[in-house]
Amino acid sequence: MTAQALDFNLSTELKNDLKQWRTRALGVGIAGAVLCLIGLITNPFQFYRSYLWSYLLVLGLSLGPLAWLMLQYVTGGAWGVVIRRPCEAAARTIWLVALMFLPIVIGIRNLYPWSRAKDVAASAMLQHKQPYLNVQFFLIRAVVYFAGWWFLSWFFNRWSAVEDRDGGEVAHRKMAFLAGPGILFWGFTVTFMSIDWVLSLAPEWFSTIFGMLFIASQMLTSMAFLITLMVLLSFRRPMSEVLTPRHLHDLGKFLLALVMVWAYFSFSQFLIIWAGNLPEEIPWYLTRLNGGWQYVALALVFGHFALPFALLLSRDLKRNFKLLAGIAIFILCIRCVDLYWIVAPDFRKASFGLSWMDFTAPMGLIGIWLWYFLTQLEKRPLMPSQDPLLEEALAHGRE
Amino acid sequence: MPEEQQVIDKPESREIIAPGYTFGTVTDQIATVVLTKKTPLFWFGGFGVGLALLFGFLLAVAVLFARGVGIWGLRTPVMWGFAITNFVWWIGIGHAGTLISAILLLLNQAWRNSINRFAEAMTLFAVACAGMFPVLHLGRPWLAYWLFPYPNTMGVQPNFRSPLVWDVFAVSTYATVSLMFWYVGLMPDLATLRDRTNNRAARFIYGIMAMGWRGSARHWSVYETASLLLAGIATPLVLSVHTVVSFDFTIAIVPGWHSTFFPPYFVAGAIYSGFAMVLALAIPLRSVYGLQGLITDRHLDNSAKVMLATGLIVGYAYILEAFSAWYGGNVYEQSIFWNRMTGPYRYFYWSLVFCNIVAPNVLWFKRVRGTPALLFISSMVVLVGMWLERFVIIVSSLAQDFLPSSWSVFQATRWDWLTYFGTIGLFLFLFFLFIRLLPMISIFEVRTLLPQAKIEEEVQG
Repeated sequence: MTAQALDFNLSTELKNDLKQWRTRALGVGIAGAVLCLIGLITNPFQFYRSYLWSYLLVLGLSLGPLAWLMLQYVTGGAWGVVIRRPCEAAARTIWLVALMFLPIVIGIRNLYPWSRAKDVAASAMLQHKQPYLNVQFFLIRAVVYFAGWWFLSWFFNRWSAVEDRDGGEVAHRKMAFLAGPGILFWGFTVTFMSIDWVLSLAPEWFSTIFGMLFIASQMLTSMAFLITLMVLLSFRRPMSEVLTPRHLHDLGKFLLALVMVWAYFSFSQFLIIWAGNLPEEIPWYLTRLNGGWQYVALALVFGHFALPFALLLSRDLKRNFKLLAGIAIFILCIRCVDLYWIVAPDFRKASFGLSWMDFTAPMGLIGIWLWYFLTQLEKRPLMPSQDPLLEEALAHGRE
Repeated sequence: MPEEQQVIDKPESREIIAPGYTFGTVTDQIATVVLTKKTPLFWFGGFGVGLALLFGFLLAVAVLFARGVGIWGLRTPVMWGFAITNFVWWIGIGHAGTLISAILLLLNQAWRNSINRFAEAMTLFAVACAGMFPVLHLGRPWLAYWLFPYPNTMGVQPNFRSPLVWDVFAVSTYATVSLMFWYVGLMPDLATLRDRTNNRAARFIYGIMAMGWRGSARHWSVYETASLLLAGIATPLVLSVHTVVSFDFTIAIVPGWHSTFFPPYFVAGAIYSGFAMVLALAIPLRSVYGLQGLITDRHLDNSAKVMLATGLIVGYAYILEAFSAWYGGNVYEQSIFWNRMTGPYRYFYWSLVFCNIVAPNVLWFKRVRGTPALLFISSMVVLVGMWLERFVIIVSSLAQDFLPSSWSVFQATRWDWLTYFGTIGLFLFLFFLFIRLLPMISIFEVRTLLPQAKIEEEVQG
């Protein structure tokens, strides 16, 4: 079947499905948000802490697809055509994600020691870092990040719409042209974002691989999400006619590669800091390997690496829609555990603990984000019908 | 098949093999380079330079054995000097070969087929050169086997907590797997040479080396399995070898060495310099032997893009390194960094910044990527830059250590230089022997790139 014979518009059945999913997502989101509001009143400190790590997950769901979008224009890979539209829709949520950042701005003094004058006065190290770690500059940087991400998201969505309307070549070349510098910008901003919003929670500590680790995590989170979504879409037209095990196999390979990259970066960081055993570095791991946190770390070794790695090696599994989606959902869950293990111990140095808000905050954020994402997904045909690589992508699936 | 033709001739899908080739002409063109009696003058020139430098290397090593490592510029606290710089540089160059042969094979990147053979040979020879340095640096190289944990009467074992021991395993595994991968890939072509040569001695030698390859379906099936398995084994080696090399530095808590992103940064740097070497070899070779139809502009373009991407990762690392030196707030780290930029090694530092970060940005431009001469110059600049990078990391961190009273400036002696250039001679010597005696491009793999091969497959499938 050629591209001309296919109708990429959403079928009525799929529209009905999406409507149902949207309603549910919104329900969960509102319930989570209301519970979070109660939490904000009763225990504001805990609210901000739970909110931060949940926010990082949602951020990955929006920023990761932006990177996948640019990456496929740079490499010219046909694998990207099938996930193009979900990536664009996820990238379009960036303004909502920027809005969701506001509670962190409001709660900044609850989260970051360097923003509290008392803490700064007590620590020579924090005074040294003042030129970088201060509230104004922090906010300016956040504005720069969001402005850049929003621009990239706008650019790739706009020209993709032009491509649909007027045919592929020119628009495609324009997007390929900006994608290289765009990835560069994305890499640097995500790195410094991770330093600003996460690493500076423990302002004495520093690790140069932290930004790369965050980049890999965001790519992993978003790929797991995209795989889950593609499998859900594959039951209805148009994707039921487009998506083949071969496409899924490619995406599964990315998932496997990123699981390995995450493990490689994490282990490198751990080994170097553990072997160095320097007083300014080791406390970060000492906190996270004591008081019950060590079991979380162990769970990460198995759940975030060993298990998905062993399973994803199988070729048959990567071609099995339901099984692969199962692993992708599992990876999304373990991503939450990883984020919690990175963020929360700085607030719970003594021992491991969980608050009820650590469940309601992700509920609220993910629910609302998902609702908005699905609204966006519905707005355009599910495949770029004028893309120069479309034929190749469809043919690739049939191989 | 007019439809097929259209797809191939689309302007944006630039060919990985020039149109007009047939199975016969591919084999002819590659095999003739080896089987001809006439050796081009270029070959004698390159081989001669290699041989001359190799003699220099032998002289330097003879003097080293007679008088000890004191003939090099090594002084406490700079005990690693040129030897380890050269080791890291050479082993890094090898990585591109493994990336091309293993990772690109797994990723179904067909364009690799015409450059993988000589890139793998480059890996082998680079590893051979790299392996020289740690052994020569031992001081008593005849005791090199002490590095291995072998059963001995004194019950002495190497310290397994030392990354230097991991290095022994990483590099020797790397050399073994690379050799096997290369040799397995050579077998079908060795059989082709055996069948085409008129020289009886050559037929005998190629025949022995081809291990009885007849090209039966069974042979091909076993071959495909073996090469996929070896690719699977070789893939982690692309990451692991240079990761372990980076541990040599990071596990030591020397300021300027102890940085958590060294593993991926070293791997990126290795692939960066490796692709520079691939281009530096491919560009002259293809013009001398008229192989532009097989190693096309597309190959140069793709390699240049890989270089640009890895170069940008290296640039990212420098920026983060500078930032973290300040942000980390460790005074030793800060002073090392300040010393690099303004101290006795500042010229090296700023040249490396120019060679590795500033200059390669010309590769953003299609015009540069499409001009072989410019590409050749940029790869040379990158090769120099990556050598300087290792030199600056190693020497500047050691020379200004924790004790200001022992600070000194490292001065390379003529023996340092002769040993270094000597290994370049060894590399050239081996490489020119290789292109004269073995097919530098994989004949049978290039044949699978031809449109004829594709149509047959489709008819069958």
